[in-house]
Amino acid sequence: MNAKSMVTILAVTYGFLGILPLFLGDSSIYMRILTMILIWSVVASCWDLIMGYAGIFSFGQVAFYVIGAYSSAILSVSLNVTPIVSIFMAGTITAIIGVIIGLPCLKLAGPYIALVTFAFQLALEPFLKGPLGKAIGSGGSRGIISVPPIHIFGMDFSSSELVPYFYLTLVLTLICSAVIVVILKSHWGTAFLALKDSEDFAASLGVSAFKYKLLVFAVTSFITGLFGALYVHYVGILSTRMLSMEVFTVLLIMIVVGGIGQYPGVVLGAVVTVTMNELLRPMGIYRLLIMGGMVVVIVLLLPDGVTGLIRKFSVFRMTKKRTEQLKHRNETHESSP
Amino acid sequence: MKKIGLMLMVIVTCMVLGSWAIAADTVKVGCAFSLTGDYAGSGDNYFKGVEMAVDELNAAGGLLGRQLEIVMFDNQDFAPEVVMQGADYLMAQKKVAVVVAGWAGAGADVRAYGKYDVPFFIDDGSQASVDVFKEDPGKYYNTYFMTDVAADQGGSVFNALQKLPYDYPNKKVVLINTDDAWGEEIGEVMAKRFKEIGWEVALHEIVPYGTNEWGPILTKIRRIKPAVIHFEIAASQEPITFVRQFLKKPTHTIISLGWSITPLEVVGTLGKKADGVLGQMPAGVPTPVAPTAEAQAWLDKYEKRYKHSLGVGSFITYTSFMAWAEAVKVAGDPYDFKAVNKHLKEVPYKGLMGNISWGENNTLHAQPGAPIVHYQVQNGELVTLFADPPLTPYKDSKFIKPRWIK
Amino acid sequence: MFIEIIEVIISGLLNGSVYALMAIGLALVYGVTKAFNFAYGSFYTMGGYFAWTLLVSLGIKGGYYTVFLTAIPFLFVVGYFLEKILISPLRKRSDWQMKAMMLTLGLSLFLDIGYISVFGPRLKSLPDIVEGTLTIGPFVFMNQDVVIFILSITGLLFFAWVLNNTRVGMAVQAVAQNPIGAQIVGIPKDRVFAATFAISTIMVGIGGILLSQKNFVNPQASTGIMIKAWVITAFGGMGSIKGSLYAALIIGMLEAFVGYYLGMIHIEIAVLTLLLITLAFRPQGLMGRE
Repeated sequence: MNAKSMVTILAVTYGFLGILPLFLGDSSIYMRILTMILIWSVVASCWDLIMGYAGIFSFGQVAFYVIGAYSSAILSVSLNVTPIVSIFMAGTITAIIGVIIGLPCLKLAGPYIALVTFAFQLALEPFLKGPLGKAIGSGGSRGIISVPPIHIFGMDFSSSELVPYFYLTLVLTLICSAVIVVILKSHWGTAFLALKDSEDFAASLGVSAFKYKLLVFAVTSFITGLFGALYVHYVGILSTRMLSMEVFTVLLIMIVVGGIGQYPGVVLGAVVTVTMNELLRPMGIYRLLIMGGMVVVIVLLLPDGVTGLIRKFSVFRMTKKRTEQLKHRNETHESSP
Repeated sequence: MKKIGLMLMVIVTCMVLGSWAIAADTVKVGCAFSLTGDYAGSGDNYFKGVEMAVDELNAAGGLLGRQLEIVMFDNQDFAPEVVMQGADYLMAQKKVAVVVAGWAGAGADVRAYGKYDVPFFIDDGSQASVDVFKEDPGKYYNTYFMTDVAADQGGSVFNALQKLPYDYPNKKVVLINTDDAWGEEIGEVMAKRFKEIGWEVALHEIVPYGTNEWGPILTKIRRIKPAVIHFEIAASQEPITFVRQFLKKPTHTIISLGWSITPLEVVGTLGKKADGVLGQMPAGVPTPVAPTAEAQAWLDKYEKRYKHSLGVGSFITYTSFMAWAEAVKVAGDPYDFKAVNKHLKEVPYKGLMGNISWGENNTLHAQPGAPIVHYQVQNGELVTLFADPPLTPYKDSKFIKPRWIK
Repeated sequence: MFIEIIEVIISGLLNGSVYALMAIGLALVYGVTKAFNFAYGSFYTMGGYFAWTLLVSLGIKGGYYTVFLTAIPFLFVVGYFLEKILISPLRKRSDWQMKAMMLTLGLSLFLDIGYISVFGPRLKSLPDIVEGTLTIGPFVFMNQDVVIFILSITGLLFFAWVLNNTRVGMAVQAVAQNPIGAQIVGIPKDRVFAATFAISTIMVGIGGILLSQKNFVNPQASTGIMIKAWVITAFGGMGSIKGSLYAALIIGMLEAFVGYYLGMIHIEIAVLTLLLITLAFRPQGLMGRE
């Protein structure tokens, strides 16, 4: 997808979300849903960047999100750092940890990276609950019950002020989305495409897979950590429950629905998934049954998710030439073993 | 064809009118339980109490002449944003008159539901929730804790163990608990209380959920030969596998399972093999013979309806709900929250086993109307030894020395 | 003290044998088809529910003999057609490995929640295969553990026999070693893939029956089993069957000793640390090929 249509889709989606509070501002339920759509859309976008573009099977996204949340909560509660500063510090801490995890991981084969990053998530819970976690102020198994709201310009941004909080999140969402678009359209993005097509060939041209992958790991970890921090000042309470499989699964569904490596499809995926999750809530247990079934069906029938569907009905008028180019690329994929 | 069309129209009209008619008259009752995920079993038990109360009231003509209608919300695994969503969904969107929740999120729940005035009943059993409440008791005045916090329940278990008509052969205790807030709070209070009376905590093992192989711990236990093992894991699989593997080569030890005796599978699966094991249920009904005829009748009805013995949480959601209904009757309007809350707080409710009232920190502390019931498994059934308070032998019950103690 | 150490070793062996039975199926599938099956743990639970339906719900005659005799063809059919219908169509795409991971993750969610909606959220208990205990000198074993140990070992031997002595087994090995060569000599690759998937489903499903009768049929068990099998296969070398066998025994022992010396709470961290250290020095696992 070219930069222009990427920006168009993002602008339309976020613009639409951005005007909704004018109509729904009174309803705390809709405002919460809108805010969570923004947060998840960015976290899922980062995951898509790692998996769909950089081709790293990282399963550590939820862990990074939680690290960001804990970092900012601990900084603001134990060290009295003002939250608007602590969220960026949390992003930095997460980026550093991301690089530390990334260093050994990026040398491994696909399912191994998935396992190591997932093992990292598994180890995080006993760590935070254990003596080491308590020593840094994680609150152990009880968690941290009073995280202060973000305070800037003499205003509190928290779950009791939903509309201002939404717009604060929207601003950060737009900035981070811009960063993602720039990355995809810079020579990094081109390098990823080259690496995806043939790592050996790209390497022979001097494209260092390792360097780019590590860089993208650092950037996405930063953004994910930042949004984890944003989330914790929003809900004001934190425990290791955030490391649940449910969060992991829902994020994954967003990517599947949006299409893997089809940015900004994942943003649409986040909108669809969060909305569906809320609509299906009255169905109780069948909600997850439907979501699980949906993943299977979409992967089988719509490999590029919603984006593929949109492309099929050619909402974005592509020139014949581009379509053929695309076809050509798919064919070369099919013939390669 | 015409006839069918006409009939369809009639049916549709009836349905529309009917639903409208019901919707206009009902009082909505919010239920925030975990329906999916690891805690779904607990949600089921809490719900049964509410369901019985609602059906009973509806059968008797409703509340102030209006039928009650249950609105469910799935609390999943209590992620804070889900809990907040639930509060707004039930209280703001569905406009329920009351919310009954079980385990509901250790603190996040108090904050989310405390924004409103709708009475909110929870059973977190967690110090974190009470701490949030203490931040602003005036704001969270609509929150009602249906049971004591973990530490108080643990203290009650300790007292009961001391009251047993049994001479401990030594002063060594082994404590096993999970790494969640519930398990740790109980483990800590038990360790403290045992040390205070000069016992040795020979082993304090913290285990993760999902542990089913107890070999290494049992090896150590067989060396220590403690007088008491207290085992506190709020799940069913772990206590069952522990008891089974312990009995393979038992030591002369009193086994106390604490809250872990309550999941229905535990006694249901172990049956007579569990004879001699101890445990407790917060706000339970003493069995096999309840203290009052009303409580016995309720218990019989419960067992007949759900075809299993009393699940933990059912009795207290039933009683709390009935206390709320009583307050509504006095207030004259389910939506006059100020009056309903005032009555709930100030006037004790006459429950099936006596009066209940919410005390310090809006908590329904253990009291004769809703006691912490200490059981021993005898002949494959839960038999009450104490209904704390008071810590005196319950009716004509008798502690039986476990068969593995010679 | 000496006796205690022996007890811990026995506990480790029992753990290890069960882990081996569960992990080898996953190793086999990855080794042969290069697809990573995240729904693996859900077939463990499926085995448990299958046995429960026959023994408790329907009350069939013949007890566990009938269960095992019917479970094997049942699990084979399930595994075979799942591969044919769900995994096989994905192979056309270049990023099919990632797609397969996602699909099986969705499938595992669907199956696990499906079990809850059909059978309810509560645990189901199966009748014991055998009761009582066996005393040898100072050691006491639960007969259940003895049976599980013997059946696990038998299962592994049977599996090795199938792999080395049957046409299917040899075809599987050929495809694993050289997929293109195997195709040239006329081995139907697609059918081998499906058969491999089916065999692994049988292994884990039977493991599920064996362990569920000792513990429980638990709709929440799938994730834990999946992770355990995943850690073991990665440690042993993804795709290496022998590696998985050793890994299972090592991890079983490690768990028992860490539980004994350091406490149960440290088991998970210890296993993950061992895995990370191993992968740092040998990215392909203990016995994996580069």
